[in-house]
Amino acid sequence: MDTKRTKQRVQMTINGTSYSDDVDVRTTLVDFVRVNCGLTGTHVGCEHGVCGACTILWNGNTVRSCIMLAVQADGSEISTVEGLASGAELHPIQQAFMEEHGLQCGFCTPGFMMSISEMLNRNPNPSDEEIKDMLGGQICRCTGYQAIFKAVRSAIDKMAAEG
Amino acid sequence: MSVKIPNSIGELPNSNPRFIGQEVNRVEDPALLTGRTEFIDDLVLPGMLHCAIGRSPFSHAKIVSVDTSEAEKLEGVVSIATGKDAKELTNPAPTAPEGWGVHCLAVDKVRFVGEPVVAVAAVSRYVAEDALELIDIEYEELEVIVDAVKAAEAGSPLIFEEHGTNVMMQRVFTWGEVDQAFADADHVITEKYRWNRLGANPLETYGCISKWNVLQNSLTLWASVQSQSHVALGRAVVLGLPSNKVRVISQAHGGSFGGKGGFRGPDIAAILSRKSGGRPVKWIEDRMEYLGGGAGQSWDRHYELSLALKNDGTVTGLRVKLLDDLGATAEAFGTVSAAKPLAAFVGCYAIPVAEYDLTMVVTNKLPGAPYRGMGPPPHNWALEQTMDVAARALGMDPGEIRRKNFIQPEQFPYIIASGNEYDSGEYEAALDAALEMSEYKALREEQARGREEGRYLGIGLVNTIEPGVFDWNAYAIVGVQGTGVPEGVTIAIDVMGKITCKLGFSLEGQGQYTLVTQVLADYFNVELADIEIVYQDSLSAPPHFGPGGSRLGVAITGASLGAAEILVDKLCSVAAGLMQTERENIEFMDGFCRVKGMPEAKMHFAEVTGAMLARSDLLPPGMDPNPQATYAWTAAGRTPVDDQGRAKSYLTAANSCHVVLVEVDIETGHTEILKYFIVDDCGTRLNPSTVEGMTQGGVAQGVGAALLEEYVYDAEGQLLTSTFMDYLLPSVYEVPMTEKKALVTPSPFTPLGAKGAGEGAMHTTPAAVMCAINDALSPLGIKAHEVPASPNRLWTLIQQVKN
Amino acid sequence: MKPPSFEYADPKSLDDAVRLLEEHEFEAKILSGGQSLMPLLNMRLARPQLLIDLAKIPELDHVREDSGTLVVGGMARQRALELSPVVRERFPLVYDATMLIAHPQNRNQGTVGGSIAHADPAAELPALVMATDAEMIAVGPDGARTISAEDFFVTYLTTSMEASEILTEVRIPALAPNTGYSLQELARRHGDFALAGVIATVTLAGDGTIESGRVVLFGVGATPICATDAERMLAGEQPSEALFEAVAAKASADLDEPLSDVHASAEYRRALAGVMAKRALAEATARAAH
Repeated sequence: MDTKRTKQRVQMTINGTSYSDDVDVRTTLVDFVRVNCGLTGTHVGCEHGVCGACTILWNGNTVRSCIMLAVQADGSEISTVEGLASGAELHPIQQAFMEEHGLQCGFCTPGFMMSISEMLNRNPNPSDEEIKDMLGGQICRCTGYQAIFKAVRSAIDKMAAEG
Repeated sequence: MSVKIPNSIGELPNSNPRFIGQEVNRVEDPALLTGRTEFIDDLVLPGMLHCAIGRSPFSHAKIVSVDTSEAEKLEGVVSIATGKDAKELTNPAPTAPEGWGVHCLAVDKVRFVGEPVVAVAAVSRYVAEDALELIDIEYEELEVIVDAVKAAEAGSPLIFEEHGTNVMMQRVFTWGEVDQAFADADHVITEKYRWNRLGANPLETYGCISKWNVLQNSLTLWASVQSQSHVALGRAVVLGLPSNKVRVISQAHGGSFGGKGGFRGPDIAAILSRKSGGRPVKWIEDRMEYLGGGAGQSWDRHYELSLALKNDGTVTGLRVKLLDDLGATAEAFGTVSAAKPLAAFVGCYAIPVAEYDLTMVVTNKLPGAPYRGMGPPPHNWALEQTMDVAARALGMDPGEIRRKNFIQPEQFPYIIASGNEYDSGEYEAALDAALEMSEYKALREEQARGREEGRYLGIGLVNTIEPGVFDWNAYAIVGVQGTGVPEGVTIAIDVMGKITCKLGFSLEGQGQYTLVTQVLADYFNVELADIEIVYQDSLSAPPHFGPGGSRLGVAITGASLGAAEILVDKLCSVAAGLMQTERENIEFMDGFCRVKGMPEAKMHFAEVTGAMLARSDLLPPGMDPNPQATYAWTAAGRTPVDDQGRAKSYLTAANSCHVVLVEVDIETGHTEILKYFIVDDCGTRLNPSTVEGMTQGGVAQGVGAALLEEYVYDAEGQLLTSTFMDYLLPSVYEVPMTEKKALVTPSPFTPLGAKGAGEGAMHTTPAAVMCAINDALSPLGIKAHEVPASPNRLWTLIQQVKN
Repeated sequence: MKPPSFEYADPKSLDDAVRLLEEHEFEAKILSGGQSLMPLLNMRLARPQLLIDLAKIPELDHVREDSGTLVVGGMARQRALELSPVVRERFPLVYDATMLIAHPQNRNQGTVGGSIAHADPAAELPALVMATDAEMIAVGPDGARTISAEDFFVTYLTTSMEASEILTEVRIPALAPNTGYSLQELARRHGDFALAGVIATVTLAGDGTIESGRVVLFGVGATPICATDAERMLAGEQPSEALFEAVAAKASADLDEPLSDVHASAEYRRALAGVMAKRALAEATARAAH
């Protein structure tokens, strides 16, 4: 559509399933995912792009979905936390978080795991500096990060073992 | 029946406990990790509306008029509430001390920027916010008072005219012959400190759905709250409802750290629900609302602390003068943080006499709320820094002066000057372990080499008490009533022998469901997966409080063990009948009711419960077929306060010793944490990974407090730090990885000997980092006594000595 | 924190975008990466009538080298700079500056053009284009024009572009031979805006003296600031700690009115700028010597 508009039909493929709905153009991407698509695993922590609770993958890249509009993601591939596990089988990143006690309240965790999954998709063997760089964009108030770092290292080993 | 809760793991009816004390995967995790756990904003109810709250742009002003007519016309708006509704339909918030609360929507005047004035319920939050912009409110500005010192003076603008003063409370508590101790002292060290506002900031803000029942005038409230029963009581008081006409459902919540207690939002949403014909109204606090208008600001404090010392470093007296700026009202219960220091007033030290000169004032800032640790984190921070000042004055190593003053192991249980009792502790052992782990001598050598190179390295060596298992009497001096915080569970075993435990709190992050699962799995000798935890709301659950004051691990263990014991007693009675012997011949071990001395004559508990529920023909006459038991645990031996506020309040005294190495760049004032060592002792560690998590999480918040976090108000009461761009939470870059070692000095008084540990290192890290900074800067003669120790602040101090 | 109502357009050509901007003048805002604009919208501090999303316009996101100049499209994501082998190997100052921008999650969305056009004086990319004498290509109703970095930044969040112009390309020349660079900044946390920062480049002559130097201060004024008088002190001098201190002191003293906010007073920023300048000159010189 080339015209100026206040409403639009938006479609996106989230974790392999197509979702579409009519939205006000001012609807944020995180609200579209949570409310229009009912995928509430992605959380809202600040609505100004700092805390990372809303981090999802947009065409494979981590983005802060609270400062994106749903219309910007029209036609895109989105990955959220709901797409990590296969049924009851946890993704290695999730398994690692559980085993290393990388979560306490769990509210920030989906955002962390999506950031980690972008990082490991790009580079299965990141350095400590690269891990820190990616984790640096996510805030956790519960864990103090040490267990999260261990969880990342564990996830790397698990995913390497899987091949 | 009198219940005896086991004081150690060895006393459990299990010859080989597999779970308690072990690091097990948390039962909460799979749902959290897959995004399935339902937080408040994930819940959608039929007919639900969304609330947006219009807040005061002024810090002190009369409300002249409120015109909602344009907003009412906006499509999608269903109802609007103003102060008029609040005055008609609600009571002012209860506070301690009494009389410093207001209605949930401002009625005659506003007292802080961000104070709720109007609220809209609409079909979406977007529309509700649009509607707010159409509401016309006229204010008449009043004189603003934001300086706590000035607020205490006569003639300053009054926040509550009816009180005639801004001083909520002013009292001096004297414990022993304090004047004498200071008069006789060889040295008196007096220092001033400033702890600036900071606060909890869980990743999930507050939120609720209020649903008013228009037929019977009752309330159902779903909310992100710590203590559903406490919140329910508060709603009953504010909304004028009988206490059994409020049902609170506590959703799993994304952290709390003290503040999720029910501050205005639920009551505003309840008014809107009532005005909307009973439709549920959801209010989700956004982050700016949290920072400027929520339960996120704590500890705005001016300290003056004095130590009386002998030449050999023995501390003979302690004076603490505190001016606590609680913000505009006492509605958020920040006042309890001024009382809690009594629970551990003297820290680890056997200081025989002490005095607490406490002044609490109101100012035109956000009402202060509780934050992790309540009052002790700033108190410990001031005390530990003063110990270091004393050590420097006497030429003593900071470890030496502490060692000199420790309460000794044989002195426990030890009643401190302010009245509370410490259960147990080995402070010297903790200090020695920390010195060894950190290679303290080598650190001092590293520091000396650094000084030669012109680098300013500093070592902080501190130890603190981390009080656990709160009781209400800890806050009696600010007007909180009562003793006892019952926490209850109901354990039931079904006809198939599967175990359910019903309790009255939801997830907050401390892994308490896992803890209960561990306890019961070992008690009944089953697998973790054989236990099901069932959450019950405030009207359904046995008496409960939930997490808070580092109590829940201990309390819920006590409740589980108590209920298990009662249930097992019942099962053994039934088993005795079934095995045709006397009750006193039956014992319970490894999941079996068995005849004493005849281990082969036994029945598995599942057989017993199966008989109870499905074979009434086999039951002894009069035996009720109910394999279920309820028990509420509360700390024994609590006492009412005396006229100086003394009481046995917090049941346990965990302790820790931190050693920190920092470097201060004196050209920029920036502090880097280089090494961090922790020895902590919280008695029996029921789940070691949970404890480690509490510790490291406390370190992160402590580092934030020491270096980064601060709410800044200008002279007009405007909040300058209103987003996460300016209120700075530490990231992985700012939080040090720490090396930890655990000591275990069990409590003689608690279930399984565990001590409260949930507030963790927050008690200690601010002190550790600050002492390290002062150690680094001491060659320059600098005293850094204000947090956060930002680069600008330290640089300014450094410039002052250069000139 | 939900945005107010606005109209949205996603033009498929530069011409369409320029036309929309012209029609709506000051009531329209460009949406590029959104990292600065969207928070303002969520806070209702920005209230444009129309949001013009540039993402569908082709050929605006290139990152390539053209005869020693790094040519970057206005809509190139900051992450593209970070991940580009050309940038990593041949424009290390650009790489270093990019890696200090916020966090990867922001850089995936944030654009090079967006950051430069937003002109936050504490941001790294505006300082970078000043330090490298980069050129900006602005396209408006009257066509394309080239604006030098010197002429680009006017004041706080304001550039010399017209309301109807779009920043379509940035051209960053490579550093001259025998030139070392350094970027020094102090932020409260990793990834935050700098309290004060300096980008310095130093070119050495054959005899080891300094031929010329560039000192750009950021985070301390309403725009990135070229410390021209201080820079002149470098020419022909033998590198030394004393020289760097003197030059840094001049750069610091010459600051007109450093910004003051809750994180840093004007006085502190001034001093910090001097410290960063001194350290940047030392590191740039050391790099030039290799």
